[in-house]
Amino acid sequence: MTPEQLLYTKSHEWAYVQDDPSGAKIATVGLSAFALELLTDLVYVDLPEVGRRVSAGEPLGEIESVKAVSDLYSPVDGEVVEVNTALADNLAGLADDPYDAGWFVKIRIADESLLAGLLDYAAYQKQCAEEEH
Amino acid sequence: MPTKPPSTACRLLLDPPGGGAWNMAVDEVLLERSVEDNRCCWRMYRWREPTLSLGYFQPHGDRRDHAHSMNCPTVRRLTGGGAIVHDIELTYSLVVPAGHPLAVQRNRLYETVHNSLIETLAEFGVAATLYRNCRQRRPSVEPFLCFQRRAPGDMLAGGIKIAGSAQRRRRGVVLQHGSILLGRSEAAPELDGLAEIAQNSITAEVMSEAWTAVLAEDLSFTWHEEPLSEHERRLASELAQEKYASAGWTVI
Repeated sequence: MTPEQLLYTKSHEWAYVQDDPSGAKIATVGLSAFALELLTDLVYVDLPEVGRRVSAGEPLGEIESVKAVSDLYSPVDGEVVEVNTALADNLAGLADDPYDAGWFVKIRIADESLLAGLLDYAAYQKQCAEEEH
Repeated sequence: MPTKPPSTACRLLLDPPGGGAWNMAVDEVLLERSVEDNRCCWRMYRWREPTLSLGYFQPHGDRRDHAHSMNCPTVRRLTGGGAIVHDIELTYSLVVPAGHPLAVQRNRLYETVHNSLIETLAEFGVAATLYRNCRQRRPSVEPFLCFQRRAPGDMLAGGIKIAGSAQRRRRGVVLQHGSILLGRSEAAPELDGLAEIAQNSITAEVMSEAWTAVLAEDLSFTWHEEPLSEHERRLASELAQEKYASAGWTVI
């Protein structure tokens, strides 16, 4: 997927929303290239277990770069249905592929109306530009 | 050269020595407070007894490999990085609110704070620099002690790391912890501090006063000395008891 296809939180998580075969909306969630560049060398990630219920704007995990620990926030309300367990062994490569191999979790969305509160690519780019200055 | 940070009113807390759980709880209260009120806060403090603080993700079992600090009480920090023996040292915590230019770039905050410390140490005749060796690969297993690790932005004097910092980011707010090694501790005798490097001792009080003056200039801070309110003390006391003093938090 490409950055232009994604929705974003103000805290730099991205979400890619698709229908699963049953028709439920699934959000694949990761962290943007902008955020990963700021974090630099990653050393540890702590992700939720499958089945955990998460809420939009609330922490769903943590990521540690060299000496900095950051909370990861859920972009949506829902239930974690899949976790990228391979990520922990390949954190060094995460920044090279943040939008495909670098996904963190997949969440079955409970309330689609909250998607309207996320940023589209253009709005997110604007936010990143403002943060850089 | 980065532009100077915008002029910012900053709360100043010069705290008496506290226990490990209390010290960590106060810093989390200040972090949470900034999430709500967007204020900047600088706190300098010491520890009531030699205490070992572990980085947020550091396994508690790793302390078995460090015999010298085995008798020290232990607390887990909210911030990352390696273990620190808080004995002959000065600790600071800095809370920078979301949206402040210093909160956006991790390295800039490290370097701005550490550069101000370099300036301060120069006043005492100590030449210090920032560690810049970015090409060296990090070891697959980092040393247990923070002061035996090296990361860009760490502060060295005489080739020895004498100050390091680590951060916690929550809702855009940054809590940065840092430690300045003033002298060698019996609980970490492998680490020299400023007293051994400079051949004269700089007390925590003298260092704190001199650094505060330089920080105000370098970070464009206007100090507002404001001790903890009764409400904040109560919150910190509860957090210390329920979280930082509990085995569930420390022993992972």
